Amino acid sequence: MKKDRMNFLGHLAEWLTWSRFIYSLILIFFLTSILFPFYWMVSSSFKSRAEIAGREPVYIPESLNLEAYKELFSSEHESFQNFGKNILNTLKVAVPTSVIAVILSTLGAYAIARLRFRGKNFMLNAILMVYLFPGVLLIIPLFAMLAQVGDNLGFNVQDNLGILIFTYLAQTLPVALYMLTNYFRTIPDEIEQAGLIDGCSRLGVIWRITLPLSIPALVTVSIYTFMIAWNEFLYALVFLNNHDLFTMPIKINTIFNDPSPRPHVVMAASTIMTIPIILLFLAMERFLEEGLTAGGVKG
Amino acid sequence: MTTAEQVGKTRFKIFQTKESRLAWFLILPTAIIVFSIIIFPAIFSVWVSFHDVGLHNLNDVFHAPFVGFENYQKVINDFAFKFQGMKSWGAAVTSVFYSFVATSFTVLIGLVAAMLLNRPFKGRGLTRAIFLFPYVAPVVSTAFVWRWILDPRPSGVINDILLKLNLIDLPIAYLSERGLALLFVIFFEGWRYFPFAMLMILARLQAIDSTLYEAADVDGANNVQKFLHVTIPEVRYILGAVFLLRLMWTFNKFDDIFLLTGGGFGTKVLPILTYEFSFRLFDFGRGAATAMILLVILVIFMTFYITIVMRNVEE
Repeated sequence: MKKDRMNFLGHLAEWLTWSRFIYSLILIFFLTSILFPFYWMVSSSFKSRAEIAGREPVYIPESLNLEAYKELFSSEHESFQNFGKNILNTLKVAVPTSVIAVILSTLGAYAIARLRFRGKNFMLNAILMVYLFPGVLLIIPLFAMLAQVGDNLGFNVQDNLGILIFTYLAQTLPVALYMLTNYFRTIPDEIEQAGLIDGCSRLGVIWRITLPLSIPALVTVSIYTFMIAWNEFLYALVFLNNHDLFTMPIKINTIFNDPSPRPHVVMAASTIMTIPIILLFLAMERFLEEGLTAGGVKG
Repeated sequence: MTTAEQVGKTRFKIFQTKESRLAWFLILPTAIIVFSIIIFPAIFSVWVSFHDVGLHNLNDVFHAPFVGFENYQKVINDFAFKFQGMKSWGAAVTSVFYSFVATSFTVLIGLVAAMLLNRPFKGRGLTRAIFLFPYVAPVVSTAFVWRWILDPRPSGVINDILLKLNLIDLPIAYLSERGLALLFVIFFEGWRYFPFAMLMILARLQAIDSTLYEAADVDGANNVQKFLHVTIPEVRYILGAVFLLRLMWTFNKFDDIFLLTGGGFGTKVLPILTYEFSFRLFDFGRGAATAMILLVILVIFMTFYITIVMRNVEE
């Protein structure tokens, strides 16, 4: 009897280690295939031209070679890319997009979540539909329409960062509205009713009660909209022609398609574009994960 | 009805109208923007698809000549769109095939990852965060890193490893060979988008009542049986929802393929074709017609999503 029991335990122990072994193997596989590309991006950005163009890949660069970064930032470099300007352009687009989207969607989401009015469900459904709309479908009419409007009002539809912000709102507002509506619905109505009874106006209630309670959601939404604008590629590709106005994604694409390939420069620019986003994500992970499942980043 | 009741009712009514006025005031800016840059353009693009719109008359779009179904005919007969046998699938077939396969793959990896993370272990929080990296990182940088890893020269990482393992004799151009290119684009999609599926599935896995597993233990079920008869029925609904949502997004996606292959080598999908007609050939009418065809297929997916997923949510 005792021997049987030992045997059973022995089997169990064996089975456990096997399962654990396979389990760790899969985990390691996942971690490697996720992290290696990021390692490759950062390490390649520090390689010298010789290391990049060699017959064999260099897995660990010999020294922290800053050649690629010099090409991006140092005006003395022979093929200076003026990447600082591109970072600035991206910020010029991403920050206003995020601020405007958060302000507008806060107002709209509050109305949808709390107030009763006719046409509310239609509006919410219309916005949700938009969420599933292809960006490439909207870009043609937007382009044609804005070209027409621009002709009449005397502005140029291309190479206009203001127009780009305007089109980015089309991509960020539905997301922001959806996420904030969901959040406002989780705030108990009783708190606001108490405020109303105490003589606050609706706007007073929003300002004094709802908004302070929603700070986590507001931070999440502003980071999301910021990230969408920071990463956006298609609209920037279509609307920007002038190299001085290029945002980072378009600039990286341009460097990549340069006749003389310089992967280390592409990787350096990619590193600069990726690191802030990853750091932002790690710092705010707790808030952001919830938003991810709410479809925060439409992708 | 007493006077007091009447007064109460009118006051409530006033309150209601006041409230709905405020609601409209709050939602108006958003509504105007959403209407002018989403809903109106969407309708306008139907109009464009029936007219001859090009660079030459872009500054006078509203007077563009009506051409009926000509744009649609041009698109359908275009060699880039039409299915012409196994060697050349055309954008429509490629799009549907690519979306279905890439989405299934993404959801499958998402399920495996979710099950990995569902078991407690040291450093699970960090691992979970790392698993989300591909999804939050900018598409431009991730696409270009993969292009660089899959470099066709012998110095490309994958080529180097496979050559050293003697699995291949000659370096392979992964992203510029018909068939292979589509396969690797699908791999990239799985790599980049599985975290979304993972998060949704993980949330559901963690909500499964643990007594179900205990009951299965009592019945003497092994792990495979537990997976098939407890886990799968519990996550089945979320798998379907994630699949359909991702299917629509993958179907719409432009950036990934454009950055990886430029739409060449058998990877030309409808969004890329739309872009090429509109902004390479500057034939906006034809581009809009392509987008409309894309939209019709999308609406079919959407109908599935609404009838299946939304109904389940209500239940």
